[in-house]
Amino acid sequence: MNPKWRVRIVVGLGIAVLAAAIYFPILKKRVKLQALVQQKSEEQARRELVQSLNAVSDAPKVKAKLFWASDADDSGLAPTTVELPLSNEPVLRAKQVLNTLLAGPVDSELRTVPSDAALLAFYILPDGTAIADFSEAMANSIPSGVQSEQLAVDSIAKTLEANVPQVKRLKILIHGQEVETLAGHLDLTGTFPVSTAAPSKK
Amino acid sequence: MVLDPAHGGVDPGARGTGGVRESDIVLDLAAQVKRGLEAQGFQVLRTRSANENPSFDERSALANAQTGGIFLSLHISSTGLSGTVRVYTMPDMPIPQANGGLIPWDQAQAPYLSLSRRLGDAVQGELAQKFKGSPAEVQTAFLRQLRTTAAPAIAVEISSVSIQDKTELDKMLPGVAEAIVRGVVAFRPSYVTPAVPGAAPGAKP
Repeated sequence: MNPKWRVRIVVGLGIAVLAAAIYFPILKKRVKLQALVQQKSEEQARRELVQSLNAVSDAPKVKAKLFWASDADDSGLAPTTVELPLSNEPVLRAKQVLNTLLAGPVDSELRTVPSDAALLAFYILPDGTAIADFSEAMANSIPSGVQSEQLAVDSIAKTLEANVPQVKRLKILIHGQEVETLAGHLDLTGTFPVSTAAPSKK
Repeated sequence: MVLDPAHGGVDPGARGTGGVRESDIVLDLAAQVKRGLEAQGFQVLRTRSANENPSFDERSALANAQTGGIFLSLHISSTGLSGTVRVYTMPDMPIPQANGGLIPWDQAQAPYLSLSRRLGDAVQGELAQKFKGSPAEVQTAFLRQLRTTAAPAIAVEISSVSIQDKTELDKMLPGVAEAIVRGVVAFRPSYVTPAVPGAAPGAKP
């Protein structure tokens, strides 16, 4: 090889190594920052929920109906009546019952949704479509399978149906995004009619 | 017949504590079902025959390209009563407006729902006889894989990878395969195959 070219290649490689040495710590810092922002947004969601619950803690307690698994084999759902100081405002009320659902039943074997999942946001559109945005743990921590994924969605839909009559159908997002499936099986691209918890396509 | 061993490649599906992987077991099950169906004179295709992971659409496309195909997606769950098997079809879907005789891809299953339920009941009935605790009738779940499949389509899910001894799961497979074959054989005469792939189906009463 021509010595001139050899020098050029060595210099080029030296510059590339130097650039990588400078850029790598910056990249590392950015990734850490991104993770921190994500963690904060989930923490923020939890904090907002606690604040919203506190805001209505003076409200009279009413009997809310929550749907967890009927037995440890996940063969179906059973209603459990819990006394909660529920708001009359539909969005706040929905947040309260869904977060109670996420907190789980006394018997943790009867859980239908992962214990580390958080409700990040909840809206109700004028046509009665509810948008429930859950943290990534909802998809990543749920046991994989048709039965377990169906049970999770059914428990959310039935709990909304029993306590928030303004909700007609449910759209589930994961960390603000529409995803193809919950954990490889159940289709999340459509909406679930809340009255029957059986989904439909728009 | 199109057999669909779910997951594969980088997606192992459900995983048990003893290293049991759904993607491996369903591959074994598909091979056993294939042998049984071929012995009954069926032509059988598989969406994968090794550790690969075709997309949902690629799996559906294989079924949709066949005239008179039947689609079976095979799964092992993480949960449920061990030793039981459930069969799923899609819940009710609105019937799409046919555009020039073609069914929209994302609602391809809609015209086949009644046939899928008939197939599902036939297979579930056979499974319920062999595996105590299994439901007597087909279940419904909105499954991504079935939605885009233009053929009678069901998902079969065995419980579960959480089984303590993998040999117990291995012992179930021949019985599951046999029940599936019997169910498909019972269903087949009621299916009037469409003239071209992807066209709306017919059914004998």
